[in-house]
Amino acid sequence: MSLKALRIVWRVSLLNIRASMEYRTEFLLNIAIGAIWQMSVIVFATVLLARFTGMGGWDSSDVLLIPAIRMLAHGLFVLLLGRVHFIGHQVQEGRIDIYLLRPMPVHRQVQLAYFPTNAIGDLTVAAGLMAGALGRSTLDWSAGRVSYLIAAVIGGMLLEAALFTGVAAACLRYPAADYWGRWLEELLGTFGSYPLNVLPKAVGGFLTFALPLAFVAYFPAAVLTGHDTAVPYWLAAASPLLGLVAYLGARGMWRWALGHYTGVNG
Amino acid sequence: MAVLHGWRAARVTPLGELHTPPRMTAVLLRLTVQVVLVASLWRGLYAHTGTTAGLTRDQAVTYAVLAVLASRLRELDQYAGRDTVLQHMHFGTIVYWYLRPLPPRRYYALRALGEQLYGLAWALFGYAVCLAAGVVAPPESAATAGVFLLSMLLGQWVLYYVMLLLDQMCFFTLRNNSAMLILIFAQNLMSGVYAPLWFFPDWFITLSGVLPFQATLNVPLSIYVGRIQLSDAGAQLAVQAAWVLALALVTRQVWRRAARRVISQGG
Repeated sequence: MSLKALRIVWRVSLLNIRASMEYRTEFLLNIAIGAIWQMSVIVFATVLLARFTGMGGWDSSDVLLIPAIRMLAHGLFVLLLGRVHFIGHQVQEGRIDIYLLRPMPVHRQVQLAYFPTNAIGDLTVAAGLMAGALGRSTLDWSAGRVSYLIAAVIGGMLLEAALFTGVAAACLRYPAADYWGRWLEELLGTFGSYPLNVLPKAVGGFLTFALPLAFVAYFPAAVLTGHDTAVPYWLAAASPLLGLVAYLGARGMWRWALGHYTGVNG
Repeated sequence: MAVLHGWRAARVTPLGELHTPPRMTAVLLRLTVQVVLVASLWRGLYAHTGTTAGLTRDQAVTYAVLAVLASRLRELDQYAGRDTVLQHMHFGTIVYWYLRPLPPRRYYALRALGEQLYGLAWALFGYAVCLAAGVVAPPESAATAGVFLLSMLLGQWVLYYVMLLLDQMCFFTLRNNSAMLILIFAQNLMSGVYAPLWFFPDWFITLSGVLPFQATLNVPLSIYVGRIQLSDAGAQLAVQAAWVLALALVTRQVWRRAARRVISQGG
C-alpha cells in the first residue's frame, strides 16, 4: 500500500468514526457489545475453570493464556479486518457492484465500509484479560517468549481472518453462506478458549485439521507453557506462520471469487 | 377462510427453507457437529469429576444437548430473505404489513408459529436420534415428561414474546443492531444455551431469576433432567405463566404505539 493510499485509509477511517458517532447511544452500545461478547467468553471460561479444576492437566493460570491470546487476536481481527463478516449483506444490497466501479481495491473498500466501534470494547476487555493472565503466570517472560506471544496473537488474528475471508469469498457467490460465518464465530467463541485435550481425539482432530481452531490459541499457549499436544511440537510452534500462510491463501481465494463475481442481477 | 389465511402466513418461512435444500443440509450438518462437540465437551469435563453443581455427568450432557436442539426452534435465517423487522424498517417495506387485510400483530404471530413448528420438527428429529444413540437420557417418569412438555410450551411462549419485543424495538430506534445483539446474547447466556445455569455463581443465578430469559429454556430443561424436582415445578410453572401474561400485555401496548410510528418511504 502506497503512502497516498494509507493517507486515504486514515481519512476515510476518521470520517467513519465521526459517522458512527452520529447516533451516540448506538455508538456506546456498540462498544458495550464488544465488551459483553468478550466478557461472555471470560464468564464461560471461568465458570468451567472454577467447576472443573486442572482442566486437561493444565493449571488455571496456564489455561487463562488461551482465552487471552484468542480474545486479543479476535479484537485485532475485528478492528483491522472484521468487515468481511458482512459481505453477504453487501452483496444483497448491491454494494459490491458499486465498489467494483471505484478506483480502490474492493477488499479495502469493504474494510472501510464503516468503523468497527465494537472493537474498542473487544480490545479493552481482551487487554485486561491478557494483563491478568500475564500477572498470574509463573513463567519466565524472556524476550523470546514475549516475541512468540506477540507473533501468536498476530498469527491468531490472521488465521481468524483467513477463515472469515474464505466464508466471504463463498458469499460473493452464495450470499446465504453468511450462515456458516455465524456458526464459525460461535464455534470459535465456544471451543477456542480452553485446552482441546479435554475432548476425545477424533473431535480434537476435527478442531485441528478440519477446522484449524486449535492453531488460533491452544497450540501457541501450549508451546509457551510447555504442554504436550496431539500434534508434533514443530507444528504447534509453527501456528503463527500457519496463520500468515492461511491468510495469504484466503486472499487468493477472495481474488478468484471476485473475478467470478456476477452480482445479484446476473 | 381465516384458517386458510393463517396457514398461508405460517408456512412462509418454512417453505423458504424447504425450497433451498442446501440450507437444510447446512442445518443438518451444523446440528450434528454441534451436538457431537457439546456432548464430547461435557463428557470430557466430567472425566475426573463426580456430581458438580448438583448435576451428574449424564444430567449435564442431556441438558447441554437438549439446549442445542431447543435453540433450533427459532433459528431460521430470515436475513437472507430480507424478512427481519429490522430490514423491513430499513427498506421501508414494513408499510406492507399495515396494508394487508391481516393485522400485523396476527401476521407476526402466525409467522412465528410456523417457524416454531418447523423448528420443532428439527428438534424432535434430533431428539429421537440422540435418544436412540444414548447421547441424552430419557425423562425419569411419565409425570416428569408431562411437566417438561408443559414447561417447554410456556418457555417457547415466553421466548416468542422476548423475540417480539426485540423486533418491536426496531420501530422506535433508527439504529439498534447493537441493542439487538446485546439482548440476543443475554437471552442465550441467561437461558442456559451456552452452559447450564447451575454452573454459574449464585449471584448470577439470582439475577437470572428476576429476568424472563431463564424461563425460556433453563426451567424446562432442569425439570427434564431432574435438577428441579416435580414438587418444586409448580412454582416455576407459575413464574413462566406470569411472564407470558406480563409480556403479552406489554407487547400488545407496544404494537399500538408502533403502528403510530410507521411511515412509508418519503413520509
